[in-house]
Amino acid sequence: MDADAELMLRVAAGDTAAFARLFDRYQASVTRFAFRYVGDPARAEELAQDIFVKLFRSAKRYQPTAKFKTFLFRVAANHCLNEVRRGEHRMDSLDERLQSGDAAEPATDGPRPDEALQGQELQGAVMRALGDLSERERAAFLLCRFEGMPYREIAQALEATEAAVKSLIHRATVAVAQKIEALQAGMKSARSES
Amino acid sequence: MSCVYEEDLTAYLDGELAPSRRAEVEAHLPGCADCQHLVALLNHALSVVRTLPEYTPAKNTRAAVLRRVEPGPTWAQVLARALNPGVLMPSLGLAGALALALVVNVAARRSGSEHLDARQLELASNLDMVEDLDVLGLDRFEDLDVVEHLQELEVNP
Repeated sequence: MDADAELMLRVAAGDTAAFARLFDRYQASVTRFAFRYVGDPARAEELAQDIFVKLFRSAKRYQPTAKFKTFLFRVAANHCLNEVRRGEHRMDSLDERLQSGDAAEPATDGPRPDEALQGQELQGAVMRALGDLSERERAAFLLCRFEGMPYREIAQALEATEAAVKSLIHRATVAVAQKIEALQAGMKSARSES
Repeated sequence: MSCVYEEDLTAYLDGELAPSRRAEVEAHLPGCADCQHLVALLNHALSVVRTLPEYTPAKNTRAAVLRRVEPGPTWAQVLARALNPGVLMPSLGLAGALALALVVNVAARRSGSEHLDARQLELASNLDMVEDLDVLGLDRFEDLDVVEHLQELEVNP
């Protein structure tokens, strides 16, 4: 049994200190997933809170045979998916937030201003591509590309077959690749004109 | 693009294909320009995605979440707290004082109702008297004697 599974069993017995340790380990992953799922940092924080509270309340249903991270992202994906389906959050307004800079992740100190701008535009292109995906394609893409989960675990988290996950990830990756290609082609032609 | 291997290309790059299928794709790729182009496009996109900035979560989320999962007191704890002498004795004292005040109030109302009625009748009678004097236009009680003997005055003008 992995260390996270042991902590989760302690959480099921009401140990809030064990829960705090799990929170510290996975807060960044879950919030990042929620942010890229809904494209809104403030909403992502609220979703992350709800996901962890749900995790705590469903701890008694956790079976240590399932990998903890898979269980966590099943809770996270279901919650984000339900939120979007209930209409409590829409990706429609993502473009407005991208233009106002709200959806951009904090820039690091490293890159030059032109590189940072390019990074922000790429980030915007990826976020727009994610907004155009179906909810399941988006969830599968995020779990694969940003959480590094293998297809088998993604299938468990999304309650789908591995074949379905393979197809979801392929379609999503092609869509994102085309958006990036279009953006970079636009940048090149703008540079050659100026 | 309609190549039969197209759907396998992302899984191929992710190392998710079964060895036999992987071998088939590797044998197919050198002769398929469409698949080569798509592999290049996907590879480039994956390298861009890997360079996207990390998301930094808010620091106050931790406290908010932990507050929400803090367990509330159990029934046993609520009962134990209520039975604590520091809470129990003042509570019992206050309840006793309230009960006593209620009993005294009810008893006082019952015994005092007759006296109250007599006093109220006397007051009403006095008010009637004042009204009578006012109707007759008299200022003093002594003038009532004159009113009582008006008949005698008529008989003996």
